[in-house]
Amino acid sequence: MRSIALLILPLMLCAQHDQAPAPGQNPAIKNPAAIAAGAQLYITSCGGCHGPDGIGGRGPNLVRQLQSHQLKDDELFGAIRNGVAGTDMPPTRLSDDDTWKLTAYLRAVTGPAADSKVYGDPGAGEKLYWSPKAGCSECHAILGKGSRMGPDLSNIGGSRPLANIRAAITPPKNDPSRNAALAGKEGVTVTMKNGTVLKGIARNRGNYSLQLVDEKGALHLISMAGVKSLAVLDHSLMPEDYDTRFTPDELTNLLAYLARQTVRQTPAGGK
Amino acid sequence: MKKTILIALLTLPATALPATAQVKYEDIVKGAGDNWLTYAGNFQGWRYSQLNQITIQNAPDIVAKWTYHVPEANALRSSPIVYNGVMYVTDSNAMYAIDARNGRLIWQYSDGRAKRKGVNRGAAILGESVYFTTTDNYLVALDRQTGSLLFNRQFADVEKGVTSTSAPLVVKDRILVGSAGGDTGMRGFIAALSPVTGDEIWRTYTVPARGEPGSETWSDLHEWGGAGTWLSGTFDPESNTLFWTTGNPWPDYAGKPREGIDLYTCSVLALDLETGKLKWYFQFTPHDVHDWDAQSWPVLLEIPWQGARRKVLVHANRNGFFYILDRQTGKFLKATKLIDNITWASGIDDNGKPVIIPGKDPTPEGNWVCPSVKGATNWMGQSYNPGTGLLYILTQEECGMFTLSSQKPVPMKNFAGGAATEPGGAVILRAIDPRTGNRVWQYPVGNYSRMWTGTVSTASGVLFSGDDDGHLIALEARTGRHLWHYNVGDTLTASPVIYAVDGKEYVAVAAGTNVFSFGLFEPAVSIPLPKIMMQK
Repeated sequence: MRSIALLILPLMLCAQHDQAPAPGQNPAIKNPAAIAAGAQLYITSCGGCHGPDGIGGRGPNLVRQLQSHQLKDDELFGAIRNGVAGTDMPPTRLSDDDTWKLTAYLRAVTGPAADSKVYGDPGAGEKLYWSPKAGCSECHAILGKGSRMGPDLSNIGGSRPLANIRAAITPPKNDPSRNAALAGKEGVTVTMKNGTVLKGIARNRGNYSLQLVDEKGALHLISMAGVKSLAVLDHSLMPEDYDTRFTPDELTNLLAYLARQTVRQTPAGGK
Repeated sequence: MKKTILIALLTLPATALPATAQVKYEDIVKGAGDNWLTYAGNFQGWRYSQLNQITIQNAPDIVAKWTYHVPEANALRSSPIVYNGVMYVTDSNAMYAIDARNGRLIWQYSDGRAKRKGVNRGAAILGESVYFTTTDNYLVALDRQTGSLLFNRQFADVEKGVTSTSAPLVVKDRILVGSAGGDTGMRGFIAALSPVTGDEIWRTYTVPARGEPGSETWSDLHEWGGAGTWLSGTFDPESNTLFWTTGNPWPDYAGKPREGIDLYTCSVLALDLETGKLKWYFQFTPHDVHDWDAQSWPVLLEIPWQGARRKVLVHANRNGFFYILDRQTGKFLKATKLIDNITWASGIDDNGKPVIIPGKDPTPEGNWVCPSVKGATNWMGQSYNPGTGLLYILTQEECGMFTLSSQKPVPMKNFAGGAATEPGGAVILRAIDPRTGNRVWQYPVGNYSRMWTGTVSTASGVLFSGDDDGHLIALEARTGRHLWHYNVGDTLTASPVIYAVDGKEYVAVAAGTNVFSFGLFEPAVSIPLPKIMMQK
């Protein structure tokens, strides 16, 4: 089931970005047809190493890489065309036209989910989100509704690529790096020297202080000078069974709902 | 362990909220103490703190406590809000909640999809929420403890030239927001919004519509006439009146297309808090052609005047003069020269009108006028210390060349009707007696006119400000005597605030790309590394 979900992601991201390209930009960028064609090219040319949805495999996680390295379109085009020296990334033999389609697809994959045309039923996804089966609101808030202990999701679609949201719900198994981003933001239980015990999620944890949001959404500013001991979870508090808890359709619907969570208007035709 | 936490966390009711203190209107009325709850410290615009731990005796012991680097910042304009040990700092379309004891980030909110970049001058706080505005005019409400978004409501159209830069002002059950963009054509306003939903309660335009009273003071262009309200106003709880200053008319330097006195530009407006209705106005610079916004906030005082106590509004204006007005009626009482070099007017007459020196408008060839476009002072504003009875104002003795363009004005096309230079000049921190407008002492703080730092002072008589070289400085508020300085290594671009956490007083300032906080020296106490048990 999981592999099916992975394989359909490039298709989910296909026809999107109906905004016009910026002046001087290659016409393939933000062109829905070019992005769809790029998605197909990606599966055959790139997915083997970078994973079917760009979240990595033998090769690096492209979603993460392209977020942290702000490549211009022509630089991304050049990396696809020429390969990356000193790595296993080979040059491609694609035409200029196809290389631009791939570039357009990668741009779309790494852009905010709210800009993507996402398949699935956001209404059904909304019901699922707020249901006990998903339990999302027990940790996350949207526009003030739900627990405020975990990361706020009011703008998740406006700030994260779809692949990132998906990877947060159903992370790849056996990825040794998957908990690296948690560092300093773990689930913690603090025992103070005066005997007080606080549980919650660290917003920032260092050697000298801890900024903690507890189970009730209350903030605690803690000096380590007053801490007797600290228990730190080595993994996310996100449930790990969503790949079996949800059907592929349910996951798609949930993603469609989350992609809509944005503090900005959805571009015309984007949904 | 893992299961225990998970179960404990996941069985929480979704609406569980902490039963902690909430910020109330009455807290803001009290003025600044441990907390700094509104842009200018109190509703009267004093930038005055009741704290007294840092004194003129121990100020030499002030040391840097922490620095927070604001990601991607550029010339931060933010005056921080501090509540219960948390500092809220804003930047373009972003807010950062910082542990005010150590500078550690607690949460950040960033709206990467806002339509433009721009400056932001700060946050506001009420109840469990903190507020700020985006460059494209959204009022953003966030949970003050977690940063969770509560609502995001647009109050003006960026396509009509309006942007938002000022800190919202929270008064009772409404949030007052202003408008910026007056240098490229827009119609200014002040709006009252609901702190719960962002819904509009009232909106008062600062330029009358065609046919409304005051519109006859424009020959044309008043739909784009400017009068921005890009700095937070002040409030008189007793009369329930807001006092808000307005910016320049547009086009800034070309007066011909807008003949008349161009109401209500370069003015102060007294507005009823409930309705937004104009109670009175006073225009400092009729038909301005030098971009001398009346921007710095009006300071509200009660002073002896001709043998009786009088409720007044005082204002250090960009046009070079210092004004004293009756704040109940708007009646002009007195004006004095704020700076030495004023070449456009010989004084202010008995009715509060400038006595114009002819031939000082911008010309195609250029006209050398004092003060410069930056003005005798600017949005760094004024502060007041009730202990010394003095006002503190950063002033600038700078002149500049004003040129006039012959092009036709086109709104929102970056057309100012001409240009103006800021070649540099003496920057002088001046202490003024608000009863007379006379100078009591002055302290030179540079020659470049680059800095934008205002002043703040405390009950113990310490005054903090900055200089053109990037020093945060502490002076004796009564005399102007130097006590302490610290080089922050960047141009000072915002005003300091005072706060206390765990009984310790701090002074903080946003400068350039960082927020700095200072306090009295204490020897470090060794903190053993925490005993951490990693839980699978």
